[in-house]
Amino acid sequence: MSRVVYTLDNCRVSIMPSPWQEVTPVLPAGIRSMITSLPLNILEKLEEIRLRQNRPLMLGLADGDILLGNNGKPAAAPRDCYLVTADDIQRVTQLISGCSLYAFGEELKNGFITLPGGHRVGLTGKTVLENGRVRTLKYISGLNIRISREVKGAASPLLPFIIDQKSGSVLNTLLFSPPRCGKTTILRDVIRQLSNGIPELNFRGAVIGVVDERSELAGCFQGVPQREVGIRTDVLDGCRKAEGMLMLLRSMAPCVIATDEIGTDEDFAALEGVFNAGVKVLTTVHAASLAELSQRPALRNLLNMKVIERFVLLGRSKNIGTIEEIIDGRTMLPLPGKEVEQCLRFLPAL
Amino acid sequence: MLKILACLVIISGGGICGVLIARGYSLRPAELRSLKSALQMLETEITYAATPLAEALGLVAARADYRLAPLFEETRKELLSMSGCTAKEAWEKALLKFYPHSFLIGCDMAILRRLGGALGISDSSGQSKHLMLAMEQVEAELKKAEASALQNVKLWNSLGFLGGIVIVLIFY
Repeated sequence: MSRVVYTLDNCRVSIMPSPWQEVTPVLPAGIRSMITSLPLNILEKLEEIRLRQNRPLMLGLADGDILLGNNGKPAAAPRDCYLVTADDIQRVTQLISGCSLYAFGEELKNGFITLPGGHRVGLTGKTVLENGRVRTLKYISGLNIRISREVKGAASPLLPFIIDQKSGSVLNTLLFSPPRCGKTTILRDVIRQLSNGIPELNFRGAVIGVVDERSELAGCFQGVPQREVGIRTDVLDGCRKAEGMLMLLRSMAPCVIATDEIGTDEDFAALEGVFNAGVKVLTTVHAASLAELSQRPALRNLLNMKVIERFVLLGRSKNIGTIEEIIDGRTMLPLPGKEVEQCLRFLPAL
Repeated sequence: MLKILACLVIISGGGICGVLIARGYSLRPAELRSLKSALQMLETEITYAATPLAEALGLVAARADYRLAPLFEETRKELLSMSGCTAKEAWEKALLKFYPHSFLIGCDMAILRRLGGALGISDSSGQSKHLMLAMEQVEAELKKAEASALQNVKLWNSLGFLGGIVIVLIFY
C-alpha cells in the first residue's frame, strides 16, 4: 500500500503514502471506505475520482473508467451504481478547502483547488459573474479529483536530446500532447534532473525558475514544494504565467524557466521576453500534432521565431508518457539516429 | 454540641449553594465578553488574513480567555484529525465538550450552534456577516446577563445563607 523509501545518505527510512492515499482524507467516510477497499491493482492505476451530484461515482483509471456500486465494488450497469449525493459534494468541497472556502476565492474563480501533495481538484457549478468575468462559483455540483504522480526517472531517456552537451546548456523545449499523456509528470522530472545535475551527461545542474500557476508541477502547499523539483529550483506558486516568468527573470537570475500549459497571447508575449534575455525555456502545450500546433495564431508566431529547439510529442501508445517523437526546431523534422530510436522504444513507468 | 455543628453545616451548605448560583450569574457576562472578543479575533483572521479555519482557530485559542480557549482548540484538533468531518460537526463536538464546563446558558449555545453551521462555507464577506451577526447576538445577551447579574448576584449570595438560617430555625 505504502512506498517504503530508503534514503541512504542520512540513513533514514520513511514510509511514503501512495498517491491515492494522499487524496482519500478529502472524501466523505462512506466513499472513502468504498475506494480504500478496492483491489490494489485498481488503486495503483487510479488517476481521477469524479463526483457528479445525483450521478454515479466514477473512477478514472489509466485504461478507462469504472463506476462504483453501492457495495463498493465496480458496477456493471449505471443502475447498480452508488449515486453521489448533495451531502457528499458539500462535504468534499469543505474538506478540500480545509473548511475554509473563504481562503480559496482566487482558486474558485479558476475552477480548481490544489491539495497538499499537488493533487488538483476541479470544480464545476454555477458561476457568479461580475463585469462579465467569473467572480466565484456557487452550487458546486461536480468535482474531479486528479491524482498527481511523481515518477522519478520518467524523463531520463529524453534528457540527452534536450541538453546541448557541447555547451552544457539546456535547449528550448516544448512538450506537447493531448490531455492525460503525462506532460506535467515528464516536465517535473526534467526540471528535477536538470536542477540536480546529471553526471552521466556531464551536466552540472542549472538554476531553474518554475512558474507553477496551477500548483501542479511542484505541488506547493503553503509555498513549500511537496514534489521533488531539484536543489536549484525556485518556485513561484499560484502566479499567472506571463507575470511570473518576468518576475523570475528579474529577481532570481534563472538559467532556465519552466512552466506548464502555456496558451494565451500574454504567455507567448512573456516567453518572447524570456528568449530575448537569453534564458532557456521548458514548457508544455495541449496539442495532438505539430500541424495542430501551427494552426493556433499565437503558437504560429512562436514557430516562426524559430526559437524552440526541440518539440517533443508525448502519447499513450505504449503507456502514459510515451515519447512518440522528438522534432528538431530548426529543420522541423524528427531527430534521426539510433539513440533517438532507443529513446522512442523506452517503456515509461507512469 | 452535635446540634450546633449540624446547624453550622446547614447554614454553610446553604451559603455555599447561594454563592455558587451567584457565581454563575457573575461569570456568565465575563464569558460572554471573552466570547465576543474571541469572535472578533476570528473575524479578523478570516476576513483580513484569509487564514485557513484550523489555523485561525488555533491563533484564537492561543490568545483567547482561558475559559473559552478549549472550544476553539478542540474544534481545531477535530478539523486537523482529517476524520472527514465538516467544520459544523467539529464545532458541535467541541461545543458538547465545552458546555458542561462553562457558565453560558442555552440561548448562548444556540447562537454558537447557528454560527457553527456557517463556519468556512462561504466567501470572506459571508463569513464576516455571520460572525458579525453572532457578535451582535452575544452583545445583546451580554446586556441581559449584566442586568441579571446585577439583580441576582447579591440576592443569591444572601439568599443561600438566609435559607440555611431559616431551615435551622424551623428544625431547631
